[in-house]
Amino acid sequence: MSNAATTRPNGLALFILPSALLFALFFFLPIGLMALMSVLTGNPVVMPKVAFTTRHYGRMIGDPYYLEVIWTTIRIGLVTTLVALAIGYPLAHWMARIKSRTGHALLLMAVLAPMLTGIVVRTFAWMTLLSDKGVVNQTLISLGLIAQPLKLMYTETGIVVGLVHIYVPFMVLTLTGVIGRIDERLEQAAENLGASPLRAFLEVTLPLSLPGILAGSLLVFALAISAYVTPILLGGFQIMTLPILIYQQISANFNVGFAAALGIVLLVISLLLVIAYNRALGLVSGQRELQ
Amino acid sequence: MMKALGSSRLSRRRFLTASASLGIGTIAAPYVARADDPTLRITGWGGKWGEIMKAEIGPAFESEFKCKLQTDSAFPYLPKLQASSRSAPIYDVLHTNSNEQWAAAEMGLVEPKIDPKLVPNLADVYPYAVSDKIVGVSIFTSAIGLGMRTDKGYGNVTSWKELWDTKYNGMRGGYVIPVNSLGQAFLMMCGTLFGKGQTDLDAAYTALEKLKPIKIVDFTGAMEKMLLSGEVGLCVIHDSGIYRYDGQNQPTDFVAPSEGVLSLEQVLTITPGSKMKELANAYVNYMLRPEVQKRLAETVWYSPANRRVKLDAKYDAKLLTTPEKVSKLIQVDWKWYNERKDEIDQRVNRIFRA
Repeated sequence: MSNAATTRPNGLALFILPSALLFALFFFLPIGLMALMSVLTGNPVVMPKVAFTTRHYGRMIGDPYYLEVIWTTIRIGLVTTLVALAIGYPLAHWMARIKSRTGHALLLMAVLAPMLTGIVVRTFAWMTLLSDKGVVNQTLISLGLIAQPLKLMYTETGIVVGLVHIYVPFMVLTLTGVIGRIDERLEQAAENLGASPLRAFLEVTLPLSLPGILAGSLLVFALAISAYVTPILLGGFQIMTLPILIYQQISANFNVGFAAALGIVLLVISLLLVIAYNRALGLVSGQRELQ
Repeated sequence: MMKALGSSRLSRRRFLTASASLGIGTIAAPYVARADDPTLRITGWGGKWGEIMKAEIGPAFESEFKCKLQTDSAFPYLPKLQASSRSAPIYDVLHTNSNEQWAAAEMGLVEPKIDPKLVPNLADVYPYAVSDKIVGVSIFTSAIGLGMRTDKGYGNVTSWKELWDTKYNGMRGGYVIPVNSLGQAFLMMCGTLFGKGQTDLDAAYTALEKLKPIKIVDFTGAMEKMLLSGEVGLCVIHDSGIYRYDGQNQPTDFVAPSEGVLSLEQVLTITPGSKMKELANAYVNYMLRPEVQKRLAETVWYSPANRRVKLDAKYDAKLLTTPEKVSKLIQVDWKWYNERKDEIDQRVNRIFRA
């Protein structure tokens, strides 16, 4: 009887099956194909003689330009994440602790409002602000504060500004849920025991909100390093990132193998950083289960 | 009697069924009627080109040849063709610029030449349209030169070399060379201007270094907007990108530099695996017809490849419509360029990074 019970298929498994199939079909299969293409000399579907090769990876390692592109991509991702966290955390804390329902609703609307517009439109809006003939430069020139336009576009700073604007809502919404679940009485208890509000925040609220910081940062980092539209429009092709390079290899060089190798490198770097970040935060917060 | 009456009565169910059938029939009728028509799959640009092709040129071809034209205007085309089967390619006719056509021919994705016996209008094209620098046939060309703002007091611009003048610092415009035909053609021009010829890459790289600071874009539409908004004052552009704003009182003008203008060809090729070869050749021939060439040229400001086309005076004055004007065109050796594209891309990406 007990044997029969243990071998009976779990009803829940049937519910998981469609999503598991979907995941396998649209996640593991494409990544597997990408990994395969990155070590082949051509596309086996349309080319008769295809062999295994390491030349795509060799090209990447042999030319420091590609390593610079990888580092630029990671740097933009990290800076975007840190700025989004710095802006998003106070806002999320305010949203989580505000007593007024109307105030909470207004803050939520303010955070969500930018997400109602497409990324392309928002990036073009930044271009109208940051370009040489844009609002910022023209205002400063008309006030006599500058003689020549400031270089606000076609820089990493311009890209980070655009990306932060797009991804801050992801950080805020992730953090709000976590901070909202922290019992306020813990902070009150700390203050009753003599801690200042700042110390109570640093030693109670901040460590307890680390899972939210981790989740929000990973989300923003992953989105920032894979962004294409904003870096291309605000960077004006003068800041090369991995997604732009991958697109260039496919659309203009028709080199699918090298594009696949670049994609695999982007994936591996992301995974390594996620694991490292996870471990570091786990150690800091003492939450060993995160590892 | 009762049965007969009952069967002829219009019930709600019958009414809904009949309405639904009629609705589906009405929507599906054109598709059903054309289901047997052969379909020719082509590529084509959007914008004004796409509009007139959809409204006039395409339907006229469909009507004459009893077929359906299916156009893909979502660039880039070549990676899609590259990913499709050689025996059942995604396109029958590939329309794109010359550099990509050469890449496609090298990969065996398109036939290198068009058969003049199957495309009689080929006999009437200017030599450049079927020269050894062209895969397939060029049906139109634009002239790549300089676009300038006329309201900035720059004076008379006559040479490519004026783009290097320091007074244009921060106001000059160019292209992302790895992805743009104009940028690639301009790189070759730099070799001619400052070195031993088109293939003098070292001279071209040195010249490109000296062009900084420069605003670069990936496609000509973006450059047109930069010039119109005053973000750039002098830039590399094709004549169509300036002339298409004719009559709108824009403070912009096209300069054909004294050293010559570069050719930006609109090229048609046929895919080897196409099952619609006869129709594909008919389409290429149709696109070279004088009346089709005239209509398209006067809409998008492209210079027609057919020598027999007579444009209205306004267009004739500006476009390349005589053998003398056409002789000023400089064609790029794309086969040579594509063989070195990876090396060139790596170098220019380094030159233009911030």
